[in-house]
Amino acid sequence: METNAKTLACRLILWTWVFHPWFVFAAEKEGASKPVESVYRESGELEEERSRHWAWAELKDSDPPGVKNSKWIRNPIDRFILSKLEKAGIVPNPEADERILGRRAHFNLVGLPDVVKEEGGSLDRMIDELLESPRFGERWARHWLDVARFAESHGFEQDYDRPHAYHYRDFVIKAFNMDMPFDQFVRWQLAGDEIAPDDPLAMSATGFLGAGVFPTQLTEKEFESARYEEMDDMANTTGMAFLGLTIGCARCHDHKFDPISAMEYYHLVSTFGQTIRSEIDAPMDTERYREDLANWERAREPLLAAREKFEREELPGRFEKWLLEPPENPDALAVWAILGNAEPKSLDGSTFVPQEDGSFLLSGKNPRDDRWVVEAKVSMPVIRAIRIEALTHKSMKRNGPGRASNGNIALSDIRVFAKKIGEEGKGKPVKLINPRADHQQNTGTLSIASSIDGDKRKTGWAVDGQIGKDHVCVFEFADPVENEGGTEFTFELDYFVNVSHVIGRPRFSLSSQLAPPLKGESKSAELTALLEAVGKPRGVEGMDEKKKRALAESYRSIDPEWMELNGKLSAHEAKKPVPQKIRMMVSSEGFKPIKHHADGRGYPHFYKQTHYLDRGDPNRKGEVIGQGFLPLLMRNGKSSAHWQKPPPDGARTSRKRQALANWLTDVEHGAGYLLARVIVNRLWLHHFGRGLVATPNDFGRQSDPPSHPELLDWLASRLIENGWKLKPLHKLILSSATWRQASQYQEQKAGKDLENRLLWRFTPRRLDGEVIRDSLLSVSGLLDETMYGKGTLNQNSRRRSIYFMIKRSKLIPVMQLFDAPEPLVSQGRRMNTTIAPQALMFMNSPLLREYAANFARKLEAGPEGSLTVKVETAYRQALGRLPDAEEREAGLSFLQAQQDSYLQDRQGNPRLLALTDFAQALFGLNEFSYLR
Amino acid sequence: MDGSKLMQSPEFSMNRRAMLGRCGMGLGALGLTGLLHDEGLLGASNPLSSKAPHFPGKAKSVIWIFVNGGPSQVDTWDYKPALEKMDGKTMEGFDRFTGFFANAVGGLMKSPFEFTPRGKCGKPVSEIFPYLGEHVDKMAFIHSGHTESNNHSPALFMMNCGVPRMGFPCAGSWATYGLGSSSKDLPAFVVMSDPLGRGLPKGHAANWGAGFLPSVYQGTYFRPKGDAIDNLHRPKEHDPSRQRRQLDLMSNLNRMDLKRNPFEQELAARIESFELAYRMQSSAPEALNVSSEPEYLKNLYGLNQTKSKHFAAQCMMARRLVERGTRFVQIYSGGMANQRSWDGHSDIKGNHSGFAAETDQPVAGLLTDLDQRGLLDETLVIWAGEFGRLPVAQKGGKPGRDHNPHCFTAWLAGGGVKGGVSYGESDEVGHKAAVDKVHVNDFHATILHLLGFDHLRLTYRYGGRDFRLTDVAGKVIAPILT
Repeated sequence: METNAKTLACRLILWTWVFHPWFVFAAEKEGASKPVESVYRESGELEEERSRHWAWAELKDSDPPGVKNSKWIRNPIDRFILSKLEKAGIVPNPEADERILGRRAHFNLVGLPDVVKEEGGSLDRMIDELLESPRFGERWARHWLDVARFAESHGFEQDYDRPHAYHYRDFVIKAFNMDMPFDQFVRWQLAGDEIAPDDPLAMSATGFLGAGVFPTQLTEKEFESARYEEMDDMANTTGMAFLGLTIGCARCHDHKFDPISAMEYYHLVSTFGQTIRSEIDAPMDTERYREDLANWERAREPLLAAREKFEREELPGRFEKWLLEPPENPDALAVWAILGNAEPKSLDGSTFVPQEDGSFLLSGKNPRDDRWVVEAKVSMPVIRAIRIEALTHKSMKRNGPGRASNGNIALSDIRVFAKKIGEEGKGKPVKLINPRADHQQNTGTLSIASSIDGDKRKTGWAVDGQIGKDHVCVFEFADPVENEGGTEFTFELDYFVNVSHVIGRPRFSLSSQLAPPLKGESKSAELTALLEAVGKPRGVEGMDEKKKRALAESYRSIDPEWMELNGKLSAHEAKKPVPQKIRMMVSSEGFKPIKHHADGRGYPHFYKQTHYLDRGDPNRKGEVIGQGFLPLLMRNGKSSAHWQKPPPDGARTSRKRQALANWLTDVEHGAGYLLARVIVNRLWLHHFGRGLVATPNDFGRQSDPPSHPELLDWLASRLIENGWKLKPLHKLILSSATWRQASQYQEQKAGKDLENRLLWRFTPRRLDGEVIRDSLLSVSGLLDETMYGKGTLNQNSRRRSIYFMIKRSKLIPVMQLFDAPEPLVSQGRRMNTTIAPQALMFMNSPLLREYAANFARKLEAGPEGSLTVKVETAYRQALGRLPDAEEREAGLSFLQAQQDSYLQDRQGNPRLLALTDFAQALFGLNEFSYLR
Repeated sequence: MDGSKLMQSPEFSMNRRAMLGRCGMGLGALGLTGLLHDEGLLGASNPLSSKAPHFPGKAKSVIWIFVNGGPSQVDTWDYKPALEKMDGKTMEGFDRFTGFFANAVGGLMKSPFEFTPRGKCGKPVSEIFPYLGEHVDKMAFIHSGHTESNNHSPALFMMNCGVPRMGFPCAGSWATYGLGSSSKDLPAFVVMSDPLGRGLPKGHAANWGAGFLPSVYQGTYFRPKGDAIDNLHRPKEHDPSRQRRQLDLMSNLNRMDLKRNPFEQELAARIESFELAYRMQSSAPEALNVSSEPEYLKNLYGLNQTKSKHFAAQCMMARRLVERGTRFVQIYSGGMANQRSWDGHSDIKGNHSGFAAETDQPVAGLLTDLDQRGLLDETLVIWAGEFGRLPVAQKGGKPGRDHNPHCFTAWLAGGGVKGGVSYGESDEVGHKAAVDKVHVNDFHATILHLLGFDHLRLTYRYGGRDFRLTDVAGKVIAPILT
């Protein structure tokens, strides 16, 4: 029954969409909240699923267990570890020596070797310092970029670059450095554009979703499958990266091992239905900008204070004084009286909205042709000219000043009529002469003069060439208009020359001056009237308080001192720094999609609806699917609707990804508890070389069960308790006796636990490729620490390896050589191979040779000394320790032999070449590349 | 046990040292034991015996001539007399979106080439293959191949990796994962591309990528110009004695370190890897040095012909590599697309006769040479591209043919394949596979079978699923097996 009801509902939805496209969103929600929970799983069944599998069960925040050897315990982590070791009858290894631990802390936290200091500081302080180092984010971002299958090109046939994708890499570095709460880190990657659209960092975080591969050459037959492929990549990566769930397995059929149905998969996938890659110009909140803004604000304060002080302390007195000594000729104060109270009408139905500055903003209907009739009453005794301003506004194309599709205007004719107030009719026509304008499109048919040439159809004032700027024109009256008791004007303006070339924000003014300037001092008509009143006998006495207050407000604009103070402030306001815009790739909705080869073939980039696909095949489309989350991870009777919120009216995005983020980070009812488990396991993995769960991207039933489930839950609980801050967790792990154990292999212990799953020692391991290369650069004194920005494909670069551009068809060979994964799918952990080409790199790579040569030069440039001193310094810098006697001896006799051999061949500087060979040999040692 | 899990555990290396000593360390060899454990192939008593695959395969190695761009079946091996009769006629019911250019669909077009019966089997062969025509009695033709994409890179991925998407291990990686390398000092899986500056196949390195398999199984790309692989030459200041002394110092210091950490076998393996690298400096260039081959062989391959010398050299290198234990060699004929490869959108006649002239004699020479050395029985030679081409013309000054995912021809030779046979049929005009259709997954299942693998059981666990080269399908083409 329910299934039938659902099918029916979906038919209805389909129908609704076909006939009312704008209802699509409401319809999808309908589809989302109902079927997922009720149809596919009984709630009781899911509860059982959850309780049966450790990853989906509630977090158990159990107390750290009791142990026999409590002396060994440094923090609660150790209790969980020791308790299991004691049960297995294994004694943990002793603590490693301080030098080893310092080196370990360096490699683990910042991915660079330490240099032995003369004075040893405390390890705890060193850990704190490393956590605050900007190098920390660079190291840990690399781990996350593997998980995010991050690259900066499309892959497939042409493998076009994504030149603005690196902002995502920078986001990850910054987030780790600032210890952004992990739940926020997750939310921003999925929906930063919806959660904090004004924050460029949040926008750049969305690069996560779009980091996958995408074909750039598509035939019509591939459009849909490519799009479903792309959405699968987003959903699958989201599942593995955040939840350790292999959601993609449910694409063609219900998940074989985990309780995720194919239908649920499509509900989740539909979250990304409208999400595409775009490039936007985002303001960059750079340090420089922030500094400039702060300086600007500092400089503004005194200017503002000075004006306010003047207004408070001086202005009232000056106004009173002015009232007693009004100017003799008030008209002289204002050239133009602005007719803010005029009553304009459009014969073709546009609306005039009065603005504060006396102008009118046109809105509503934008007719092809129009005639305006503007009526205005004025009390000025004599009027000699009319001025019409065509002002810009952001509501118009290119800011106007016209409503035409190119922002232009074309005023075909203007006529003025005047009569004494109270007379019948529209009055006598006023002859207009001396037309003037600040700009005219040409001197003929589109000139200002053509507005009074009697041609109402084909000629008129236009302003192309200076679109986006305010413009003004003036017509003088052949004879002044003079009426006792006030004049009533009617202006008629015709727009018949070109389509919708209507002024979008007109302002009308009159002047009593002869030949008034275009941009003379302008006052509102009211002020002009008030000024007049002041000039008249008993003008002020007869004035009511309201009028007087208005006059006081207007007065300051004729006070020269206030004008000066105000002018300084305005001038400063105009210089407010604007943030630099920088282009970045984002994954969002409603922006223009990134250009695609198949645009010409009509590739739509996305489809309005997501369908259920039988066996994952776009040729076997089922019903339209709305967004929903995995019922497996919805608890306490909540359904998807609990996290969904309709987008506000006019929103650019659907808010579906925000809903996903809400669910994903909701510890109480949603998936947040699993999210916490997955990330603490990743931390553990990179500190110990193996996670408590050995399969970091798969926490499903096929995964490796956790070696210490209670510890996993305890750590996850601490993370949530700390407000999802990761740095305290790093500190906790590195402070544990568990992490501080020596790495010595002990046969008897290995006999009981060969794989060291119980952690009776620190497992030695090879460093990652990036760490090896960065260490080589650092030790040879060549490391360029410049952070952020565009990466490079140039292997000669001396920046940290994380700043290599990742182009899918041109992966950096040396990174590949040391097992950097191909950025095609999410990778939770790296392989660790030992192959001959790695040895060839250490032996023969010209780059490595260059590093070694520089290291040798650095050794020679140091304090003078015997070769013995050089050997010792080299050991200290490359391996963080001094050589023992045997090693020193081997090094010295090698140096001697090489030097002799070079001398014999009369090659360059024999000593430097010998030192280069020695430096290179140190780089090639196991100890250089191994963490122990 | 999950192979990837096992391989990543450093403790795993405990058992590795013994293996290393004996099985050598080709580029792809390490990690082999992990796989064999995984596949249950490593006997508890004798680890070496388990190097064998699921069952003894006839082929020990593979040389794949990748006919890049999509060769036209009706102009090469799939003779269609009906096309001559229907030349110029409109093809009824043809979906114009079948190929890449929907707006350039012309009428049916006969082959511009003559076909002549060749060999004992009398197979009609296009005139563009005078040399290869001599070998039809060694070849098993598949005329009913079909694939899933009408676009180069997805189709290339399909043909190489079994799915029309990016990010999956290719056939060469699966073979290497399954068999390892029998070479001590050469890569297990080698890829060569066009040396005439016409570019890489579309999709580039993803065509020989290991996907989610350990990266040691990815194809080693031999640069077509200059040194084939990185870092083969010792620093310019070094001579053999100075480098030897440096290696001795490292080995000496590493052994002192090993004495302090006696049970870290991975460290021992790393020491050995430097010795191997030292040998590779000479063995790798030696393997690629075709100039040392006798003159009659150079002539046989067409190494002295201007048109074919580049491909002849690559075919000869392939033989030398296979001889020395390399497992899988892929040679791409042609570069990226259009006139730079077999992608004959325009002038099918000029395009195909040109690329045939580059490859005909070299591939024929390779077959003869392998045969004469007794290597053909254990070397599988594959001739296949990513899809076929349409029987209708693509309009233009000189007509061409557009992509056709519904039908292609490929042939296999040697390594357990019957000679002089044809399997499957296309329809009357060669538009669609019609009889005994062979999907790419079937094609791969057959290749794996010849190497000794049940394609259903050669799997790797990734992202919660056991993946295989044949995705969720695949059927071995039994009738072409010896």
